[in-house]
Amino acid sequence: MTVTAIRTHLTRRLGPLLPILGAVAVGFGVCGLIALWVGLRPSLMFTELIKGAVEGPQFFETVARAVPLAGMTLAAAIPLRAGIVNLGADGQLALGGCAAAVVALYLPAPDLVRLGAALVAGMTIGALYAAVAAAGEIFAGVPLLLSTWLLTYPAKGLCGYLVRTPLRDPTTAWPSTARIAVGARLGALIPGTPINQGFLIVVLVAVAVIFIDRRSSIGFELRLRGLNERFARYGGVALDRQTLGVMLASGAIAGLIGAIMVLGSQFRYTDGALTAPQYSWSGTLAALLAGGEPLGSVIAALLFAALQTGGFAMERSVEIPRVLTMVLQSVIILFLAMRGAIWRRS
Amino acid sequence: MTFAFFNATFFDQAVLGITPILLAAMAGTLSERVGLFNIALEGEMLVGAFAAIAGSHFGGTLQTGILAAIAAGALFSGLLAVGSALLRGNDIVIGISLNLLAAGLTSFLLRALFGVSGTFSDSAMQGLPRLTLPGIASLPLLGPALGHQNALVYLSWMLVVVIAVFLNRTPWGLRLRGIGEQPGAAVALGADATRYRFIVTLIGGALCGLAGLQLSLGSLTLFSENMTAGRGWIAVAAVMLGRARPLYVTGACVLFGLSDALGLRLQGEGLPNQITDSAPYVVTLAALVIVGLRRRRLNAATA
Amino acid sequence: MAYLEMIDIVKRYPGVLANDHVDLAVERGEIHAVMGENGAGKSTLMSILYGLQSPDEGYIRFKGTTLLLQSPLDAIAQGIGMVHQAFNLFESLSVWENIVYRREPRRGIFVDGARARREVEELARRHGLPIDPQARVASLPVGVRQRLEILKALYRDAQVLILDEPTAVLTPAEVTTLFTVMKSLAAAGCTILLVTHKLNEVMAVSDRITVLRNGRVAERLVTAATNPAQIVRAMTGQQITLPSAKRPREPGAVLLEAHALVVEQQGRRVVDGVSLQIRGGEIVGIAGVAGNGQSELIEALMGLTAVAQGFVRVAGRDLTRGSVTERRAGGLSYIAEDRARTASAATASAIDNLAMGFHRAPPLARRGLLRPAAMRDWARGLIDRFDIKIASPETAVSTLSGGNLQKIVTARELAHNSPVLIAEQPTRGVDVGAIAFIHGELLKERERGHGILLVSAELSEILELADRILVMYEGRIVAEFARAAADERTLGLYMAGGSRA
Repeated sequence: MTVTAIRTHLTRRLGPLLPILGAVAVGFGVCGLIALWVGLRPSLMFTELIKGAVEGPQFFETVARAVPLAGMTLAAAIPLRAGIVNLGADGQLALGGCAAAVVALYLPAPDLVRLGAALVAGMTIGALYAAVAAAGEIFAGVPLLLSTWLLTYPAKGLCGYLVRTPLRDPTTAWPSTARIAVGARLGALIPGTPINQGFLIVVLVAVAVIFIDRRSSIGFELRLRGLNERFARYGGVALDRQTLGVMLASGAIAGLIGAIMVLGSQFRYTDGALTAPQYSWSGTLAALLAGGEPLGSVIAALLFAALQTGGFAMERSVEIPRVLTMVLQSVIILFLAMRGAIWRRS
Repeated sequence: MTFAFFNATFFDQAVLGITPILLAAMAGTLSERVGLFNIALEGEMLVGAFAAIAGSHFGGTLQTGILAAIAAGALFSGLLAVGSALLRGNDIVIGISLNLLAAGLTSFLLRALFGVSGTFSDSAMQGLPRLTLPGIASLPLLGPALGHQNALVYLSWMLVVVIAVFLNRTPWGLRLRGIGEQPGAAVALGADATRYRFIVTLIGGALCGLAGLQLSLGSLTLFSENMTAGRGWIAVAAVMLGRARPLYVTGACVLFGLSDALGLRLQGEGLPNQITDSAPYVVTLAALVIVGLRRRRLNAATA
Repeated sequence: MAYLEMIDIVKRYPGVLANDHVDLAVERGEIHAVMGENGAGKSTLMSILYGLQSPDEGYIRFKGTTLLLQSPLDAIAQGIGMVHQAFNLFESLSVWENIVYRREPRRGIFVDGARARREVEELARRHGLPIDPQARVASLPVGVRQRLEILKALYRDAQVLILDEPTAVLTPAEVTTLFTVMKSLAAAGCTILLVTHKLNEVMAVSDRITVLRNGRVAERLVTAATNPAQIVRAMTGQQITLPSAKRPREPGAVLLEAHALVVEQQGRRVVDGVSLQIRGGEIVGIAGVAGNGQSELIEALMGLTAVAQGFVRVAGRDLTRGSVTERRAGGLSYIAEDRARTASAATASAIDNLAMGFHRAPPLARRGLLRPAAMRDWARGLIDRFDIKIASPETAVSTLSGGNLQKIVTARELAHNSPVLIAEQPTRGVDVGAIAFIHGELLKERERGHGILLVSAELSEILELADRILVMYEGRIVAEFARAAADERTLGLYMAGGSRA
């Protein structure tokens, strides 16, 4: 390979990263200004943020957070690749986690079987619930953007009701199920850190998604549909089947993440605990950042995981509210969306 | 269930519940007719709700609160106006990120400006006063609901009529409709599409600011994080259901408001609130499905 | 000094000189034809006159004053109006709303609808263009929509009217009506610029002709003093060549069959009981003015639109309820008319566009996985064979000209080597050399024993290629002719809904 060839290759690969770096810079700038406005010190804020993300044990925190975040990013990216927005990941997440808890607690079977079955149950329930929204689109033309979002409420409501009444562990202060037996949990991957075996599962899923997207006919059809749906239909792509397929996959991954959170870190299903960290919104943002492209989405997810972990640490050490990191994330995306439009115009 | 199930309180609740959604849905209707897909209604409303409390608190009077709500809503929607109307960026990406920005920003400012997290309430703060319409207020059952509301509620009803007349009977409404339907043709005949889109977005932001005002100062005077609770998205659904026609959209809003009130009422009767809270969303979804199926049957074409 | 002049106009695009020091002079009340092949520069020239673009050099002089046009609005303000080939109308609004848009008569802050309707009616009657002001545009047939476009320009006091390929969507009878209108407008002092490539029309209605070729003025002619052969020579720089003679063939088995097909849209039967058969080794042409159900018929055959009644059989299999996927698998290929929105993905590369439909099987894929090298070779092969001008196979097809994009679509669909090919406007916007090439490919398909259903607005194309010709009018097949028995006049009669046998 000649020098020029290497250079062209690098520019094509790295070129798209430049606007993202620019957006990050703008995001930091805007948040710095907001901090100044309310009397906080931006330099302090940023050093604490970065330290909080990668220094010492914080690094493992970031990785542990990246697992569910990247998972939810993949759940968002798969349909987004085809131009479909799944805003119901929260509902699929909750149902998946709840189902996994139920199976892990009450299935009459040995520990490891319960674990496996719980993971499968989480995936299945999440997939089926997402399929309901897909059916709405396929048969009644109800836009998935709306139906998925509307369906999160009954889903969260059902889980909230179940965990208060039939499944309630009366010894806990907040509505939760009983604790899951140690044998049926996802064990720690690196002892002494919050990283559990769920990490391996998500890595596998990520590799699979990236591979399918880039190298398979299915991925080709998804990508082309995202570029021009009419063309995909005209060219013979079975759109309805594809819609169902991406929603099943998306819901399955969201449900799987719910199961992983329950079995690997929380060890019980607690009302609202799965959706509190707002991984689905961050995941959707990360996927939007990359336009649904899986590898880019995961990288964006890692960035957001670092930001959020750093934000928690920042709040603990210098008492700057961590919601500022959400502001940071949104500004980055906004800037990119506008910049993309400017690019297109010129 | 007693006969007093649908009592005066029920309808009062319904009307109160409808108002913010109606205002936001009108904003959404105008956007849709001019060719923009505005899903940032949620964020704009939240910003307005916060600004109303902040303006009222720091400015001292109800008037400053109202002005703050309108200004904040319009300014915030300015981001959408620049990104979507001016630069023609992706409506959905910008909309979703604006909603999240609003949530983060208002939560942050709640802590930074008021020093609390979760909810800020001030019982000394003056909310929107209720007016009484003499003849109507004394009607049975619907009286209080229709005749004893604050000015913003009545404004929202008048707004529906004003917008309907504006769209269908004025030159600017005609031009707006043309821009939304076939921007190429409109521009070719001299309509400034960008200006219309920009202005519509800002007006929509102001309307959503008023919607937020209704939420935070309309009955109780408080702001809590994410208090819009998805009403902006319901407004989006209402615009879709009503096909961006002001009267039909209003019908969709009424449907939602009634089912929301119904949910609260059922909660009063003892049903678990997790289930009843879902009522309006399920009803909206059911309506979308029914309307969608009917439209499918009318058009034989699937292209 | 002429009434309207374009002086020394130069317009450059990356890689091509669209207008090369073009001069145009038109007198008042004249019908002036601007002729040339696709890509000769006439559209560019007229878009400059209408303010859609600015010339790089040169200027426009109208009634003695130099014009500085920065947008069509300036042109309209100066009295220059244009009727485009693709109409620019508000479908859901009424005729009068479309016409008075942005010049609405008012009563206070409201639109004075009654006065608007009166003014429109008066205007229509004065110019012999009858129209119902209250009708919704969506319900209007194409010929009436064109009348609407003309009225829009006249409502804005156009003294110069540019008509861009106006007869592409009209029946021969409607064309005659249009000419009558044009002549009466010219007699009343309106100056008309007719942009076209159709010889017979230019001979029938124009006073003078400016012929462009490769961006330059090739010739200026006076219609009364010239003839078609001279015009063609000026347009192409060559003598007229006779159309290639076809060898007669005995058609084979029935490959595609439709029986009593009915397609409904919004309560109307847009396809009303159509039956047809395509046999192997024959080209069946559907002649008909756009908007008489041809598009809907093709979409129904391809599975893009649902069928209310009747059936569709592909190679004997009933696929009436089948998807596009199944029909393509059953042996149908389809060159779609809308190449930019339907038949291609603009932001995707040529490789991706050419791979669509082949991406599930060898050689481009094996066991569900793509083979990138094979995809690249496949694309390169088609690009070379069809002489498609593109920077590289990885380039996005949005960079291509209309003609080259049409070649991508045609290349891909022909590469399927399907028993039945549906070709809808396969040479629209393509330069003459490529037209001949595509026609040659279609004839080769016929030689191979494949069946072709050809839908074209160009009667000449149908007359050149088809073995059998069907005429479609208002959703029905109203006539069928063998090639030998067809001529333009008879076809035109049926296309306009004339005498039934």
